[in-house]
Amino acid sequence: MLTPYLLGAALLVGVPALLSLVLAFIRYDGISAPLWVGWFNFRIVLANPVDLLFPISLYNTLYFIILAVPIRVLSALALALWLNRRGRGVGLYRAAVYLPTIIPDAAYALIWMWIFNPLYGPLNLILTALGLPAPGWLADAEFAKLVFVVMAAFQIGEGFVVLLAGLQNIPPEYYAAAAVDGGSTWQQFRYITLPLLAPWLLLLTLRDIILSSQNIFTANFIMTNGDPYYSTLFLPLLIYEEAFDRMHFGPGSAMTVLLGIVTAALIGFALSSVGNWGETDAD
Amino acid sequence: MRNRLINFGLLMIVLLTSACGRGNTTEPVTFMVFGEPAELKAYQDLVDAFQKLSTDIAIELIHIPSQGDYRKRLTADLVGGAPADVVLINYRNFSGLALKNAFEPLGPYLEKSSEIKYEDFYALPMRAFSINDQVVCIPQNISSLVTYYNRDLFDVAGIPYPNDSWTWDDFISAAQALTLDTNQDGSIDQFGAGVEPDFIRVAPFIWQNGGKLSSERTLTLTDPLELEAVQWFVDWQVKYHIVPGAVEEKAESSESRFMNGRTAIYFNSRRLVPTLREITAFDWDVAPLPVGGSEFTILHSDAYCLTAASQHKEAAWTFIEFVNSVAGQTIIAQTGRTVPSLIQVAESDVFLDPKAKPEHSRVFIDVIPYILRLPQQANWSDIEEICNEELQRAFYGNATVTEAMQSAVSRALPLFTENE
Amino acid sequence: MPIKQSTTRRTARAVGFHVVSILMSALFVLPLIWMFAASLRQPGLPPPRTIEWLPSPLMWSNYVRVFQILPLGRYVLNSLFVAGAAVPVTLITASLAGFAMAQLSRRGQDRLMFLSVILLIIPTTAVWLARFILFRGLGLFNTHAALIAPSIMGSSPLFVLLFFWSFRRIPLELYEAARMDGASPLSIWWRVALPLSASTIVVVSILTFLLYWGDFVTPLFYLKSQTLYTLPVGLRQLQELDRTNWPLLLSGSVVMTLPAVLLFAIVQRFFLQENRLTGIYGQ
Repeated sequence: MLTPYLLGAALLVGVPALLSLVLAFIRYDGISAPLWVGWFNFRIVLANPVDLLFPISLYNTLYFIILAVPIRVLSALALALWLNRRGRGVGLYRAAVYLPTIIPDAAYALIWMWIFNPLYGPLNLILTALGLPAPGWLADAEFAKLVFVVMAAFQIGEGFVVLLAGLQNIPPEYYAAAAVDGGSTWQQFRYITLPLLAPWLLLLTLRDIILSSQNIFTANFIMTNGDPYYSTLFLPLLIYEEAFDRMHFGPGSAMTVLLGIVTAALIGFALSSVGNWGETDAD
Repeated sequence: MRNRLINFGLLMIVLLTSACGRGNTTEPVTFMVFGEPAELKAYQDLVDAFQKLSTDIAIELIHIPSQGDYRKRLTADLVGGAPADVVLINYRNFSGLALKNAFEPLGPYLEKSSEIKYEDFYALPMRAFSINDQVVCIPQNISSLVTYYNRDLFDVAGIPYPNDSWTWDDFISAAQALTLDTNQDGSIDQFGAGVEPDFIRVAPFIWQNGGKLSSERTLTLTDPLELEAVQWFVDWQVKYHIVPGAVEEKAESSESRFMNGRTAIYFNSRRLVPTLREITAFDWDVAPLPVGGSEFTILHSDAYCLTAASQHKEAAWTFIEFVNSVAGQTIIAQTGRTVPSLIQVAESDVFLDPKAKPEHSRVFIDVIPYILRLPQQANWSDIEEICNEELQRAFYGNATVTEAMQSAVSRALPLFTENE
Repeated sequence: MPIKQSTTRRTARAVGFHVVSILMSALFVLPLIWMFAASLRQPGLPPPRTIEWLPSPLMWSNYVRVFQILPLGRYVLNSLFVAGAAVPVTLITASLAGFAMAQLSRRGQDRLMFLSVILLIIPTTAVWLARFILFRGLGLFNTHAALIAPSIMGSSPLFVLLFFWSFRRIPLELYEAARMDGASPLSIWWRVALPLSASTIVVVSILTFLLYWGDFVTPLFYLKSQTLYTLPVGLRQLQELDRTNWPLLLSGSVVMTLPAVLLFAIVQRFFLQENRLTGIYGQ
């Protein structure tokens, strides 16, 4: 019964992952025969003195992750706490929060391209009407990355639901006991909610770090393709261009491996800074 | 139990793989093109005409709208091992792929043909698609960069139309007079000119100013004459503001503005004509580029190539031969898409008829002696990409021209010595 | 906390809650509203200088045009086919795997859980290039099969886990009873487990559909023939035809988003309404 799942996973994920690792050490352009080149690909990706596209895209990707992930996790937490109650319409409010998440990627990208249209989009029209500065968004290297952060901030549906489930798993007796002992709302949050929610928060953060760095591809591809002047060149796009535009599968795979290493490092960092929180479990 | 499940699974896989449409069945010759819908119609007419003549060869037309995506698509296809049989390709993307032996040289086929001969074509595009003097692909056109302009807007402003002796200064002053804030709200509603800030758009002006773009070892964009030309081009936006800035261009593209009558001058090649012919709201025409020290312009040419991996080479050649015969080139010239590469068709009324817009199609023929082409180099498209990014940086005021060109030259340097 | 609050205070809190929630919901729904509004503008007009909540004239013809410029109807059918084919395959493989997992020992379950989490964590960018080469070797280039392939492994380890949790909650006596009647595992899966997991089936079906409906990357990599294109790449094609024709692009986006929203309206009941949350996510 497990065969299709395990076999499929091996074929679709396991084998390609290993192959990717191997490809990183090979020169292959899809047409001519492959050729083993050792560390060459890593060297040209990392140490190319003239073309710094990899470091630039790494910086862009990290910038995005460091901004987007905390915003997403904290928003999801805030909304989960806010909407963790009974009442008429609560279901609708929750649905509204989840709604942007189900919009298909390609359409989502086009919608925000319109919203952030620097001259005619609703956002800048509102800002101008309020007398606030209306930046060039995707046309301005300083602001372009923020567009992606905002887009990511709206799609917190999944995190929201996970945290909501986590909150509902907390036995109400704990809160009742705390209330009897005279604990304030803040204390209840700090000493009951947060520790019990911690594993969920951690999982969510880790998952977000990993997914943020790659889910950005579709929006990136459709909205800016790296412009202006590489300020929105994120790693998945660079990998795609390197492999499918310039036919350099070797460096593309090397970059993929490096991305994996960086992600693992981020995860390690996140884990170590919240180390002891992850040990208690509601069960 | 387990076995039944495994069998079921395998059956599913087999069903899925075989049932779903494959692009390359054994029958039709696949023909891949790029272009806007009006251009696509031109190719469809061509295919239809061919099908009437050769009923035993079926052609399947594959359409990719943009050249950027087209290149990635072609690359993926070549890597995938299943490219179309006949592909339309620009000469700037041609060399890299040709040097990787992606195409079957058509020279031998051409020699044996009774329909068409090498001498029937203009030499320049033929050379652009030859490697070591052997013809690899057959070009369909000898287009170049020209000036499209909105006659009505010129009339309203009382400015004389662009002509053969229009200079750089004439252009700037006309465009300035045509850049207007019609409703006095502080933002420009009509721009004098529009252009894509790409390397291929500035190249003619560099040549006109005496530059040569590159040597064997490097780009020469930092030479004084070349910097001067680039600066003049960049000044359109940065100094004179006759073209949209970054924000305006992102909000609405220059091409869209021209199509909707909100820009007076637009620089593009012949391929825009089918789309322009759909315009009814205003009158338009074409003129040569503004003249600097000389009258150079840049070659735009696309060719039909036969992919080396094709399984239907003879049938594909029959199609290619047809489209490049007088009959085929006439059909596509009538749509306005091409400046035909066959001398006979280019100099006939099919192309030159003043009643078919643009009235002065003659311009495309008159500039032929002044057309220069870009170097033939394996990674030219990568070099061009770098130049595009740097040029845009300067064009939108985010870097000085010197900085940008220096960056372009040093970034492109390794690509000249790379041995692919 | 005082046990009795005055009624007015309680009403005030309730009103306050609803006001804030409504504003917040409006924020999340705004992008969709703007998308729809902008899709009805007349293309080619000088774009608006103030926000248009409802343009005039209302150009419903944009929706007709968008189907004329490209064979969008064909793309819709292709998307429906791919997503529709993926759903049953996913349901079968994911529920089988989840069921098998539920029958294992505690250690086996932990190991599989661990594996699934690892799989969830591997970024897809890591397998892009290698999977491309692999699929090419298998002759899956330019086929819908390449798009449907992940369904063979249950589309996502998350779906396997959803079924696992759902099956785990079924009382053991029911399994025992069936076993004593001499039923085979497959038959238990079919007759006992599945019928009791109706809500999970609905949720997984719809989530799977949405996953394949919005998939941009796979068709981008693998599809060459225009007749096979699905909506996401169709939308990209639309964008390449007229980069800044916002009304047209957004019309296409509406066409793509509408089914997703409708399906979401159905499924959100199951995991956003109050007490059902623990039902899906389990203990």
